[in-house]
Amino acid sequence: MDIIFFQAALICYLAASVGYVVFLFTSAPRAASLSSICCQIGLGLQVLSVIHRAVVYGFFPLGTYFDALSFLALLIVGLFIFLDRRLSAPVLGAVVAPMAAGLMLLGAAFSYQTRVPVAPILHSWWLPIHVVFALAGNAVFALMAVGGILYIFQEWLIKSKRIGRVHRLLPSLETLDKMNRHGLPLGFCLLTVGILSGALWANSAWGQYWGWDPKETWSLITWFTYAAMVHQRIVLGWRGKKAAWLAIVGFVLVMFTFVGASTLLGGHHSISGPGIGASRT
Amino acid sequence: MKQEIVLVGLNHLTAPVSIRELITFPGNEDGATTRKFLAIKGVTEAVVISTCNRSEVLLVVEGPAHVTEEVIQLVSDIHRIPAESFSQFLYLKRGRDAVHHVFRVASSLDSMVLGEPQILGQVKEGYRRATYANATGPILNRLMHKAFFTAKRVRNETGVALAAVSVAYVAVELAKKILGDLKSACVLLIGAGEMAELAARHLVGHVANPPIVLNRTLENACVLADRLNGRADTLDTLKHYLLEADVVITSTGSCESLIRKDQVEKIMKKRRYRPLFLIDIALPRDVEPSVNELDGVYLYNIDDLQGIAAENLTERRQEAMRAEKIVEDETAKFMEWTASLSCTPTLVAIRNKLEEIRLSELARSNGKLAGLTPEQREAVEIITRSIVNKIAHYPISCLKKTKSKTKQSLYLDVAQELFALSSETDIACQENHDPEKKRQDET
Repeated sequence: MDIIFFQAALICYLAASVGYVVFLFTSAPRAASLSSICCQIGLGLQVLSVIHRAVVYGFFPLGTYFDALSFLALLIVGLFIFLDRRLSAPVLGAVVAPMAAGLMLLGAAFSYQTRVPVAPILHSWWLPIHVVFALAGNAVFALMAVGGILYIFQEWLIKSKRIGRVHRLLPSLETLDKMNRHGLPLGFCLLTVGILSGALWANSAWGQYWGWDPKETWSLITWFTYAAMVHQRIVLGWRGKKAAWLAIVGFVLVMFTFVGASTLLGGHHSISGPGIGASRT
Repeated sequence: MKQEIVLVGLNHLTAPVSIRELITFPGNEDGATTRKFLAIKGVTEAVVISTCNRSEVLLVVEGPAHVTEEVIQLVSDIHRIPAESFSQFLYLKRGRDAVHHVFRVASSLDSMVLGEPQILGQVKEGYRRATYANATGPILNRLMHKAFFTAKRVRNETGVALAAVSVAYVAVELAKKILGDLKSACVLLIGAGEMAELAARHLVGHVANPPIVLNRTLENACVLADRLNGRADTLDTLKHYLLEADVVITSTGSCESLIRKDQVEKIMKKRRYRPLFLIDIALPRDVEPSVNELDGVYLYNIDDLQGIAAENLTERRQEAMRAEKIVEDETAKFMEWTASLSCTPTLVAIRNKLEEIRLSELARSNGKLAGLTPEQREAVEIITRSIVNKIAHYPISCLKKTKSKTKQSLYLDVAQELFALSSETDIACQENHDPEKKRQDET
């Protein structure tokens, strides 16, 4: 049942992706509004899917990569819908919708299991705290990266004096930089809480705050990167193009930490076995 | 009786400005001038549209009246100018052409600057004055509302009014795309020439802060600053103001560059890389072109802006072709409605005829029904009425639904024969204003 909701949500996001790309090429406002509706329906269906899985699990369904990636997609789309209302920048959807669909496909390709025997260690209230904060941080960084991509594109259009339809479609440089300005402290705080809660959980589960498993190491690298960004922005006044590039680089690092580090490098966050964290090396 | 929509007017395409500025329909604030057209024999409705680029009189004429001459005479009387001086510039449009023209005007497809937004407001004003003077009826009410609707569709569904087509507006649009909301921006003008003023006019309108005008001679700076409600200073303070400004417009006649790359580089650091939008409209240039390479600095010169304006105009023209389709579409719909109007008298006549038969038959049976209680009488009334309604229903809905014009006129002829209406059609025509139809008009 949950997989049907999931697939329906995926179809909605794919439809929205097509719609937003059409919008990008034609500026037809109807394409944007239909895509926005698709996104909202997709979000609703995905929430249903998560609720259904929670009922099946009897606990927060965040224990597998499938669930984590799906939840990240959900947060990203939710954040996008919120931002689109505030900034009326539907063109963000042309990047966000494919991104969400891609994350869901990645999750489905990784590990979809209907009934996962949940490892006892995941039956802890630390799970939702740790995972939700970490993923919310990632979602904010994702939107910052999307803003960064559009900023670089828009700034290139203005610098090279290609002032046409696409230029008018894109939000102003100020709006896009504002996403970075507001997103950076928010995402950084969420990531910090995510890492700290993980450490506390590790201590209560294994009696050790920090185990230097690959994901922990890479998370720390990510944390330092964003800490550096906060510093550059606040102290040195970095903004605009530099900040946009950093947001993109930061998000690549986030995705590597989230997906790459544990699949390629192993560790107790890895997806070997029935769920994340089942094996402690 | 047949009603026809007639439009007489002149615009920027047909008449020179010397004529256009003469014909302004004075004293029309409360629609009094519009009402004068109703006095012409055969005219039942009137709207006058008057802007600096056009003057048009829109009328509904009943019967075979040819009102053109009377209209020209009246226009000549109102303005106290001889008819010969302007009659050669007039165009006359009837029926479908008139409807099509009104829709195009309201959608700004007939404007001097294609897609300019003011025209819709001016058309609305003309209509408002006409309604104030009670000069409009069912046909023009519907026509004008459909014109507003068409204009709205054109604006929403095409990009005909989207891109800026004047240098000053292009500058404003660019500034918005760079700085976002311009309310709190600071505008700096260097040089107090006419060009700078022209370019700054619109920009200053979007900004809450007073603009700053710098010039070599302070007097000239003060003159322009006064006109723009801004502050004035001498050119020596440039460095200081470059730290504050968000948009800079330069237009001095200076031979050497006023603003150099190395200078701006230092300033940007002090500004903490707050974006700087430079508009250089001077010839020779006031700003070193390489300044555009600096991070956060956006330099446009007058050629760039003119190029964008020209491109945008091309784009508007392309969008206008799509807009024309919408106008065609809405014109066809409106003409369909006017065609359905011509069947209304027949429908009314059929109803009247049947009602007449019902009443006369009831009257004939009056003696036999005398013994009935009031309730029973009421029941008979209801039964007979519903029989009549049922009989009338199919022929009437058939006549209403027929879309094709030739088929409809055939059906109307047949209906008149079948119900023996021919002598009554003209009488029924006068009942055009029955409540049901009025409701239809207002939608």
